[in-house]
Amino acid sequence: MRKKLSAALALLLAGATMMGLLTGCSSQESSGAEQVRLMVWSPSEDQSKDSGEWLQTCCERFAELHPEWDITFVYGVADEASAAGTVSQDPDASADVFMFANDTLTTLTDAGALAKFGGKYADQILATNSETLTDSLTLDDYLYGVPFTTNTWFMYYDKSVFSEEDVKSLDTMLEKGVVSFPFTNSWYLPAFYFGNGCTLFGDGTQEELGADFGGENAVEVTNYLIDLYNNPNFVVDADGSGIAGLRDGSINAMFTGSWDAASIKEILGDNMGVAALPTYTLNGEEKQMYAYAGSKAIGVNSHSKYMVQAIELAIYLGSAEAQQLHYELRNVIPCNTELLADPAIASDLVVAAQNDTFDNTSVLQPFVASMSNCWTPVENLGKGIRSGTVTHENAAEQTVAMNDAMNSNGIS
Amino acid sequence: MSTEKKKMQRSAKRIKARNNAIVYIVLSILAVIWLFPVLWVILTSFRAEKGSYVSTFFPKSFTLDNYIKLFTDTSILNFPQMFLNTLLIAICSCVLSSFFLLSASYCLSRLRFKLRKPYMNMAMILGLFPGFMSMVAVYFILKAVGLTEGNNVRIALILCYSGGAALGFQITKGFFDTIPMALDEAALLDGCTRWQIFTKITLPLSKPIVIYTILTSFIGPWVDFIFAKVICRANADQYTVAIGLWRMLEKEYIDNWYTSFAAGAVLISIPIAILFLKLQKYYVNGMAGAVKG
Repeated sequence: MRKKLSAALALLLAGATMMGLLTGCSSQESSGAEQVRLMVWSPSEDQSKDSGEWLQTCCERFAELHPEWDITFVYGVADEASAAGTVSQDPDASADVFMFANDTLTTLTDAGALAKFGGKYADQILATNSETLTDSLTLDDYLYGVPFTTNTWFMYYDKSVFSEEDVKSLDTMLEKGVVSFPFTNSWYLPAFYFGNGCTLFGDGTQEELGADFGGENAVEVTNYLIDLYNNPNFVVDADGSGIAGLRDGSINAMFTGSWDAASIKEILGDNMGVAALPTYTLNGEEKQMYAYAGSKAIGVNSHSKYMVQAIELAIYLGSAEAQQLHYELRNVIPCNTELLADPAIASDLVVAAQNDTFDNTSVLQPFVASMSNCWTPVENLGKGIRSGTVTHENAAEQTVAMNDAMNSNGIS
Repeated sequence: MSTEKKKMQRSAKRIKARNNAIVYIVLSILAVIWLFPVLWVILTSFRAEKGSYVSTFFPKSFTLDNYIKLFTDTSILNFPQMFLNTLLIAICSCVLSSFFLLSASYCLSRLRFKLRKPYMNMAMILGLFPGFMSMVAVYFILKAVGLTEGNNVRIALILCYSGGAALGFQITKGFFDTIPMALDEAALLDGCTRWQIFTKITLPLSKPIVIYTILTSFIGPWVDFIFAKVICRANADQYTVAIGLWRMLEKEYIDNWYTSFAAGAVLISIPIAILFLKLQKYYVNGMAGAVKG
């Protein structure tokens, strides 16, 4: 028994070691070109064969464009949302070029892991992207990434139930069909508050101003939300119930982002309608809902050994050419202004809705540090309405309590 | 008189039957409650409807596609690879840490040396801290040695899971203490070395605790998430099952992968279930106490 065990152990360990050694030996061609080793991280879809190996294709094209460098690419998997955490854990051993969501910008800059773009590179980025978009990547007047897509949510609806006129107002929609909204998700719920003049950190960057979700206007919204929840044609979308409802036909409209587009297309087929956010009627007035908007960008590690090459690669991965390929292979919605003018892309419903939302019915999601205090209180208010603990009688009190919690870090 | 007695007996029987019925009903209800989540996961793994949310407890139609998808759709989340990674890591660290643990316990139980008491005190105090407290330090040490890239990640994880094993000796040492010293002494007189006593006398007499050790040291790495997450980072080909399952629930994947997630959960419970079933009788003995001299 013992002999067998130790033999098996030795074998397994030896196997693991050998595998480790083998990958260490990559072939090195000697030529006049400068040897460069670039580590690139992206979501796994960008590297999968089934969706066309966007990252590998782009990196190879980049290498062809630059014969002066002999580049070895090392690929790793980190999606935009979690890349910041992984990179800031140890910037020194992280990718030279990676993708991140702009709400994680401060995590990365606090870790000193993001390189600034300046000079001709900054000019190039500013020239091909909208100002709102570059603002989402600017901190203290420095630009920290090459945007490649916008990130927000909008409305999907069943065309056989609602007309294009109906979807402009939430209240009209509620009369004609069943609408589902992620009521207990604080990425979505503030849309109603922004509609009635509530603000977060002034224009989103003035941390000292704090959250303004406690005034009379906010109380009106809370009261509206209580009525909305009690509307028989309104369903809370939680844990995927929205898309399930769309599938079995019990729901006719829902709010989500481009990541669900393929699933919804499969369910609704030609009846799939996509639109920017509707208005809602508060005390007889039409109020526009505003979604949080952000961006996803390509960042360069400030610890990179090959800074020039890394920055050039980031610029290339965010270029019109790469965005076009990204759109064709994976339906990643482009943000390059020249590309958006292309009629083939502009006619795509999801692209149109996302950009319409981004340009007209969204607020830039603040990325100041205090923003992290704002998520839970809003979620709790949504849950409170759902469970019936927030009522018309205590709406004012509960709204003020939510605002207090949003302006406090829970410690001091 | 006799009729009276019979009546008494009958009513006593009735009371007993009634009590039994109540006990059984309560136990059945509890069993159902406990098994509910397990049953639900198993049902979900065979569910044909897509998505993470369903309005009915029982699926409307059943399919094996979720399992097939796990093993065929490997371009985004490579489950077979993760399963093999986890199996390799779990087996290696199981063997290593069982060896460490049993040896350390044997030494502390049988040998007398100067640092014995200080070692046991230190282990006791270190054991009070949660293991992941040292996670970041462990990561940087592994990085300095060059074990955080490529296939070395597997070795790093094996070291992580088995390195601290010798600190958890308390139960095993207690078990060894109950084996009479006289046996060791007799063996020594017959010319046994310490190693021979350990392998030929102590271990065969301690089957229950050996089994218990193997079980616990297999399950640890098999289900661990935190260390794997910190050490694997962006090396997708080194992911363990725990990371893979977690990724299936991210917002981009959840609608497509939810039922496969349940299938994966069922699959990873199979090796543990087999181990438990096979070793159950030893396991119970191991927890109950030692062999009597």
